[in-house]
Amino acid sequence: MGYIQRRNRRIFLIFLFPVIVALFATTIYPMLYAGWLSFRNYDLAKPFIPRVFVGWANYAEVLSSGPFLHALITTFKLMAITLSVQLVLGVGIALLVTQKLRGMGLVRTLLLIPMMISPVIVGLVWLFLYFPELGYLNYFLSLIGLGPVSWITSTDWALLAIAIADIWQWTPFVMMGTAAALQSLSPEPYEAARIDGNSRWDVFSRVTLPQLKPVLVSLMFLRAIDAFKIYDIIFVLTKGGPADSTEVISLYIYRQSFTFWRMGVGAAASFVSLIIISVLITLFFKSLQRGQASKG
Amino acid sequence: MDKPSTRQAILVYTLLAIILIVFMMPIYLIVSSSVKPSPIMFQKPPAFIFPVTWEHYVDLFTMRPFAKFIMNSLIVALGSTAFSVFMGSLGAYAISRIRHKRINDVAFWILSMRMFPPIAVVVPYYIIFKTVGLLDTPLALIIVYSTANIPLTVWLMKGFFDEVPTALEEAASVDGYGLVETFWRITLPLAAPGLAVSAVFCFIFSWNEFLFALMLTGSEAQTATVAVMSFWSSDAVQWGRIMAGSFIILIPGVIFVLTCQRWLVRGLTMGSVK
Repeated sequence: MGYIQRRNRRIFLIFLFPVIVALFATTIYPMLYAGWLSFRNYDLAKPFIPRVFVGWANYAEVLSSGPFLHALITTFKLMAITLSVQLVLGVGIALLVTQKLRGMGLVRTLLLIPMMISPVIVGLVWLFLYFPELGYLNYFLSLIGLGPVSWITSTDWALLAIAIADIWQWTPFVMMGTAAALQSLSPEPYEAARIDGNSRWDVFSRVTLPQLKPVLVSLMFLRAIDAFKIYDIIFVLTKGGPADSTEVISLYIYRQSFTFWRMGVGAAASFVSLIIISVLITLFFKSLQRGQASKG
Repeated sequence: MDKPSTRQAILVYTLLAIILIVFMMPIYLIVSSSVKPSPIMFQKPPAFIFPVTWEHYVDLFTMRPFAKFIMNSLIVALGSTAFSVFMGSLGAYAISRIRHKRINDVAFWILSMRMFPPIAVVVPYYIIFKTVGLLDTPLALIIVYSTANIPLTVWLMKGFFDEVPTALEEAASVDGYGLVETFWRITLPLAAPGLAVSAVFCFIFSWNEFLFALMLTGSEAQTATVAVMSFWSSDAVQWGRIMAGSFIILIPGVIFVLTCQRWLVRGLTMGSVK
């Protein structure tokens, strides 16, 4: 191998260089810009006010104020609901669709469709279902004697309504990853476990689940990173309301920047969220590298 | 796992039937509502058989310049896809072939660029594009989407290049091929499925994106997703038009699922599940 590598190192670097430059210009630079903004009193609605340096004032406001912490808690609450349901449902459905029965390929294909739909469309179709007075969801519920529920207009239900839309879209993701992993498991441990006379549940919890764990951890991290960024569905369904009950981090930043035009405060909140998501991303990479290392 | 017994099979099929009904219902609603006459849009119980109307689709293209918005979406998605796949595969090839102990860190750094929350950089983008006069142009969106698409391409293509045996490349270099020629004539054709998968993912991501399109475009460069959302914000909600527009927007994704689902796992988990 050495021959090609040595001779061509310079060409490889020429291949790689544009990518690095492009990402610096289009990602790192805006982030640094956000950092610069976060120390400024930048009000887009009042362009004549000088953009003075305000030190840590924006950060102090963000971190000490109720709304930001509330948004942070709401984000993690939503993440906890969606991830746990997606994990249980996704693994459950994966166990069903990997049975050796006819038609499973078709079922799996159909279930993948929600993932490929634009989140705005997902928001709109669920809005259609949840719509006060008119929506079909309450009608379906009334058929089995439940409801009616004020899905998006009550502070008790709005977050759950958003969670349901997200669960609908992304359970297939967990199902797909788990099904792929299930089919690559080696059959030997199963035969051994069956000879030992274990029950189905025992086989699943002691043989299948431990083998699935690295994949499930990866899938959950990817979901967590996405859940932290959730924006479109909430923008369509509730815009953060009613009474801030669905205002997650992204919505908080959006409102500070584009409703109140306080770009500095929005940028400070952005930076805090960048730090939090960096932790998530780092943990994800660590788990990926561990997974690669254990594979040899 | 052996073949399930008949009783188990019935149980599995019953559960899956329920799951399918629940998961397909919203998609059925989009399709049926897009051709349902407005007066019975919310009729209960829902009419499964009704006189099909194309008026919502006609409205979409006559009352609003929806064709133009689709064109914008296409320009942006194709532009960003071409740029990202070109840049990304060159970078991926370098990362796949360079033997250096820090090269994995570079790969992870590139991937991390795609994971940051878009909302955190939307204000800087807005100000920067405003300053250079790119606000409300397709080019602005092409640039922004490429920041997500390049890392995805790098990561996917790296996996495909890793699978091309280096022995082939060495043979080519013995035959007098230079590196660029080897890459172009030998490696790239062998990794062609990767190019297709990367391109499709880049396209779908750009086509479906909403937040940046909403913030960085106005009437000129507006994309289809933003246009559909705007049918909602007017005084009366035009559900028929919303659903007709939604159906048009979801076509590429559905085609992708139906034709190349075996690549979906790899693309969506960025190679962490193969």
